[in-house]
Amino acid sequence: MNIEIITLAEVQDIQGEAGNFSVDVLRHPRYIDEDKCIACGICAEKCPKKIIDTYNAGLSKRKSAYVEYPQAVPLKYAIDPDTCIYLLKGKCRACEKKCPVDAVNFDQKPETSTLNVGAVILAPGFEPFSPVKFENYQYAQLPNVITSLEFERILSASGPTQGHVTRPSDHKEPKKIAWFQCVGSRDMNRCDNPHCSSVCCMYAIKEAVIAKEHVGDHLECSIFFMDMRTHGKEFERFYENAKTKSGVKFVRSRVHTVNPVPGSDDLELRYVTEDGTIQTEIFDMVVLSVGMQTPPALVELANKLDISLTPGNFAETSTFSPVATSRAGIFVSGAFQGPKDIPQAVVDSSAASAAAGEMLADVRNTCTKKQEIVPEINVQGDRPKIGVIICQCGTNIAGVVDVPKVVEYASTLPYVELATDKLFACSQDAQETMVELIKEKGLNRIVMAACTPKTHEPLFQDTLTAAGLNKYLFEMTNIRNQNSWVHKNNPELATEKAKDLVRMAIAKVAMQEPLEEVELPVNQTAMVVGGGIAGMAAAKSLAEQGYETHIVERDAVLGGQGRKLFMTAKGESIQEKLAEMIESVTSDNRIHLHLNTQLTNVDGFVGNFVSTLSSNGNATPLEHGVAVLATGASPYLPTEYAYGTDERIITSLELDKKLMDNDAALEKLNSALFIQCVGSREPERIYCSRICCTHSVENAIQLKEKNPEMNVYILYRDIRTYGEKELLYKKARQLGVIFIRFSIDNKPVVKTENGKLIVNVVDHILNMPLELNVDMISLATAIIPNTDEKLSNFFKVATNSDGFFIEKHAKLGPSEFATDGVYLCGLAHYPKPIDESIAQAKAAVARAITLLAKETVFSSGTVAQVDPMLCASCGVCVSICPYSAPKFTEDGRFAGKAEINPALCKGCGLCSASCRSGAIHLKGFDTDQILMQICEMDEAV
Amino acid sequence: MIKNKIGSVMVVGGGIAGMQSALDLADAGYYVYLVEKKASIGGVMAQLDKTFPTNDCAM
Amino acid sequence: MSKKEPKIISFLCNWCSYGAADLAGVSRMEYPANIRVIRIPCTGRMSIKFVLAALRQGADAVWVSG
Repeated sequence: MNIEIITLAEVQDIQGEAGNFSVDVLRHPRYIDEDKCIACGICAEKCPKKIIDTYNAGLSKRKSAYVEYPQAVPLKYAIDPDTCIYLLKGKCRACEKKCPVDAVNFDQKPETSTLNVGAVILAPGFEPFSPVKFENYQYAQLPNVITSLEFERILSASGPTQGHVTRPSDHKEPKKIAWFQCVGSRDMNRCDNPHCSSVCCMYAIKEAVIAKEHVGDHLECSIFFMDMRTHGKEFERFYENAKTKSGVKFVRSRVHTVNPVPGSDDLELRYVTEDGTIQTEIFDMVVLSVGMQTPPALVELANKLDISLTPGNFAETSTFSPVATSRAGIFVSGAFQGPKDIPQAVVDSSAASAAAGEMLADVRNTCTKKQEIVPEINVQGDRPKIGVIICQCGTNIAGVVDVPKVVEYASTLPYVELATDKLFACSQDAQETMVELIKEKGLNRIVMAACTPKTHEPLFQDTLTAAGLNKYLFEMTNIRNQNSWVHKNNPELATEKAKDLVRMAIAKVAMQEPLEEVELPVNQTAMVVGGGIAGMAAAKSLAEQGYETHIVERDAVLGGQGRKLFMTAKGESIQEKLAEMIESVTSDNRIHLHLNTQLTNVDGFVGNFVSTLSSNGNATPLEHGVAVLATGASPYLPTEYAYGTDERIITSLELDKKLMDNDAALEKLNSALFIQCVGSREPERIYCSRICCTHSVENAIQLKEKNPEMNVYILYRDIRTYGEKELLYKKARQLGVIFIRFSIDNKPVVKTENGKLIVNVVDHILNMPLELNVDMISLATAIIPNTDEKLSNFFKVATNSDGFFIEKHAKLGPSEFATDGVYLCGLAHYPKPIDESIAQAKAAVARAITLLAKETVFSSGTVAQVDPMLCASCGVCVSICPYSAPKFTEDGRFAGKAEINPALCKGCGLCSASCRSGAIHLKGFDTDQILMQICEMDEAV
Repeated sequence: MIKNKIGSVMVVGGGIAGMQSALDLADAGYYVYLVEKKASIGGVMAQLDKTFPTNDCAM
Repeated sequence: MSKKEPKIISFLCNWCSYGAADLAGVSRMEYPANIRVIRIPCTGRMSIKFVLAALRQGADAVWVSG
């Protein structure tokens, strides 16, 4: 209700200042009236003009009158002015003539309007790199050389091949597919994209694995790569499984040419293998893993808006304000901030919301609309008076199903007071008639036979609410998507099916009772566990948005691991920034610090937690509505590479300490060596620690800059300087840092001989053993989560096999837990650099504020309820509920019986189905109701 | 101090990033204008088949 | 329902299979009309009682999907 979607629109200019901007928005005409369009698709059907379907990445055709895909939002058709015959040549208008609701309007003109807003968030995205100019890959010439986005569409069930993997030239199922990595990324020779696009390694592996699932195990998939960058959460495991379980081949090589095999559509690849030999191999298909780049028009807009860009044309941000652009009040999220994957984009986006919220907290709720509340009529105990509405959906339903017959039939069924049909039940006027009918006829239950409840149930329920009827006294049955559309050649059977479906819905709704949504207050105080950078960033953002916040930190000081770090990848001094941060947190009177304090108990649930804080043996309760867990991680203490036997062998953090102290000895070193993946990417700790490559490269640069004569070596397995961190890698190589790759089964060996530090390693280019005599060795050690089982149990949040917290959803809920009211950020989620930690802290806050801002929460009406008289106290419901909603009643008459907290229940019904005593009712989907539907399934008509 | 602060926010781009920002802001008490260049929101994610690690449909 | 065709009753999870059945319609796929769908909030809701009731009611097949 408070989001106005403005499609086919572009921002032209932004005037004004933070808090009060005027934005000029140009709206292009859709040529179809959004309010009238019912998405029946007749315009597209009648449109004679076929054009390339951009949604299917050009692999199929669509019409000039179109909707991008069946689930599009808004689900409204549009006419493409660049190809429409009428708009180009002045003749046709077939769509206009056939549209059943007169929605086509060719008189629409482009309009510019000025909107006043307090803040702007730029999330304009990226464009996939176009490989057309890479002549050696012949993308433009060879149909079986495709981009990764095209391959996504081929894999998709909604794509041009319905998910059957076939190659474009002859629609044959391929036997061998090759992926080429870094097409349009990490490349300054053939294009201008020095950055790593961060996502391509992972999506290529995913595509290869899924392709094998679709085609079968005999499909050979080879991925040609430079460095495998699987630095995200659970990514390394996926990579390992792709190699060992799925049998995807990984070839470390950049293919230099693709040639057609004469007389066939196959492709011949020439490449150099690791041992230096030239290979020729035939493939059926090549997928180019294209990178992300900022579209030129966006660069232009950024320049116009006075937003600074990085060398790679992404919006410039700083480590400690990761979503603020160079212009105050304008924030950035998604791929325009830097190439990134979906979870990181989601994190940034929530962070940008929090950043905008910090600025606008005092004017919150000044522009939003609130729904009017209509008093509810009490119908409890009344005889059901059911109103049945059959929607014709234009011809969508009525063209197949004999609607009048269904109406007539429905009116003969028990409890049916009224049955009628509507041309379009979802239209505004039909809604108004419905309200009147409910009032006039005293209807107390409604059955709607129309499209799908998944899209339209909320709309019709709002209509019930507007008529003063409890919104659960409603049942929708699907006679379009699951009937008229799929049985269009069998109108008789479709009509019979519609009757059955209507009868089943009537039987169910007759048993429906009004349901109550329990209103619960949300305590407006927040608790943050952990006082490191992430915890402080979260607390500060909460406080800035007006919430009292408590930080619980087990140490005596704030700062966490940040206290040990020297410099960010962008060259900012961490200690300076950290001191500012600690000062701003300490001086904020809305933030309450609990140092040397541990959490010893947590009671309650979303909006109403009571935690026990213990310090020096004193326990104090803290009531809070939300909790943010930012418990951090610690460095791995190495046992390998002779660590601890010689003081010249140190960890990255120990080197940071020397750099912070400006240790004069560093300049005098003749040589220094870094070893990567110490304790990471090992069988017992499979994940990549994400930040160590950048950290070592950065420190190598520091050493080189202190003393350009120093020999600096980095021994690595894959360099994972993702995003624009790749530029640091490039800089290090330019400064003469020597990179030597090793494999996990042939690790370097460190020893001391006659006071000398010696490292033996096999050089990957020469394929020769090397012996290096060095003055210092820095070990890039793994990041290990501070797993705290007690804390996990307190909040009923789980950790993965590596000890990191498991978020609600890996892609769409990265900063919150499945447990409502509990959020996470920082290293406790996964290793990450400071900018990402701060972004996630703000993201956790943004998510928390969506709850705090409501002040009260309503439980859903369709929740489970225990009949304590029947409950046998077996505890099955308590143990199986994924949301921890059931528990045993502690006192009172029903002590020991299960009860379900409606605030936590998601209405899945698992408990109800598992209850051996039949004591649990799932309201809205109760056993009796479903049994009634089953019984009415096939009554003789 | 900013004069005449306005309690609405414009989000430019209707992909996964823009949608997330819009939802967070609307739920936090701000009016949101979600400006999208194309005829519908969803962005590139709507074109993806499945996403790691659950191989959920990206829709 | 046609006498010759088997009667199928299906219990579809609201969040996935029910949506998929919708999508089949959107994509204008066709399938025989001898299936009756009951929408359930999650296959977790599925109880052996429903399977037995459906069979007792004369269903030839019960399909649970989620």
